[in-house]
Amino acid sequence: MSRPLEEILFGNPRPQVQAAMRAVSVAAAALLLLLAAGVAFRFHTAGQLDARFWEFFAWPTTWAFLATGLLGTLASAAMAAAIALALGLVLLLGRLAPLRLVRWPSIAVIEFLRGTPTLLLIYVCFLVLPQAGIKLSTYWMLTLPVGLSTAAVVAEVYRAGVLAVPRGQTDAARSLGMTEAQVFFLIVFPQALRYIVPALVAQLVIVVKDTTFGYVVTYGELMQNAKVLIANYHALVPVYLVVALLYCLVNYAISSASKRLGGPMH
Amino acid sequence: MGEVSKLLADYGPAFGQALLLTWKLTALSFVPGFLLGMVVTVLRLLPLPPLRFVLTGYVEIFRNIPSVALLIFIVFALPDLNVLIDYEPSVILTLMLVCSAFTADYLRAGINTIPGGQMEAALSLGMRPIRVIYSIVLPQALRAVVQPLTSLLIALMLSTSLASQVPFPGRELTALVSKIANDSAAGIAAFAVAAAIYVATGLLIAWAGATLEKKVRILR
Repeated sequence: MSRPLEEILFGNPRPQVQAAMRAVSVAAAALLLLLAAGVAFRFHTAGQLDARFWEFFAWPTTWAFLATGLLGTLASAAMAAAIALALGLVLLLGRLAPLRLVRWPSIAVIEFLRGTPTLLLIYVCFLVLPQAGIKLSTYWMLTLPVGLSTAAVVAEVYRAGVLAVPRGQTDAARSLGMTEAQVFFLIVFPQALRYIVPALVAQLVIVVKDTTFGYVVTYGELMQNAKVLIANYHALVPVYLVVALLYCLVNYAISSASKRLGGPMH
Repeated sequence: MGEVSKLLADYGPAFGQALLLTWKLTALSFVPGFLLGMVVTVLRLLPLPPLRFVLTGYVEIFRNIPSVALLIFIVFALPDLNVLIDYEPSVILTLMLVCSAFTADYLRAGINTIPGGQMEAALSLGMRPIRVIYSIVLPQALRAVVQPLTSLLIALMLSTSLASQVPFPGRELTALVSKIANDSAAGIAAFAVAAAIYVATGLLIAWAGATLEKKVRILR
């Protein structure tokens, strides 16, 4: 598409229309400002703008504590992403295997991990595994389920990429005498990765979101540390607002990066 | 297998109710979320900069905020602002907001697949821009986003598990499993049954989506 839709639809209106649009714009802005003022007033009447609810944000210790939480979030997310990338590749190879004995179990594992809520997997690691005598640290109780459920999604993303590589590439590589392993790892997979980098990065947003469940297993990530702060200062609204903002910023940064990576590769 | 049949004898009706609640939460958050997303998409097309700015913020916020964080904010922080919402509506509201943001995002991408010439042609036939939006743009955009919306619906269905994070009177599947695992040693069996139900529901939605997609898709 040459021009964005908005420009085609409303590109060059007649002067009266233009004036009307400007008036409506101003009215909309006024309405939205009124709405914001209403929210602010609500905060004021509920006493949430009192200094005691906000002053601790001026202390470096508060931010250090939140930063520790954010680091915990990122540490868990990074490990979960690494698990997902590696295990996803294993699942993909199983999914593409010519042998039914390998392919069908792989499909079953993928569908199972993809179709089950991450929270349910976390509860398994948290409640069920200890009954069976397996004790994980809180870090792994969070990271392992998140990594596993992401691995299944990543396997499907990989597969989409592999299927998008032109078939001639495989044929050419084979006719050069490459083994199947060489064809896959030297020719097909590197090209597939290029197609799916944006999708993989976008998946990282979901990983970061899923680590929010850390407070279920009391792993020290951002949400858990927010709960501790709240227990100390009884400032639910400010702390949750700040934490939500932090999550939004991190995820927004990741999704913008994924959109930038989404340009044409060839 | 013995464990599973014993579990179903003990908790069979509870699983039935949990499944119904999961479906109910999914439907009640998807339908209004989808409609709201459509409204947001159309409003973002209008040449009103302040509205566009605020709605873009809305979409980015609810697309990027973790649903749990949003749910906890609504349930535990809003009462401090004298806004009291019951637990079940809170869960539905959370999922609805997230669903609307993703719907708006996907619909926008769907709109981008429509060749610009169609809009120019419609305008040159004398259609008003609003008319172009609802009789040319929206129908085609909707047909282009069946597949992402199917994935969204499945993700939403799985997200209803976060209802287990608030003290709900009814129990959906994940809450039921955590209760059974707390009360007895039948955790593994309960988990297996719940996982099977989730996977089956997801596959059902995926199948319905694929069928619909085949019917309505536009080959370009």
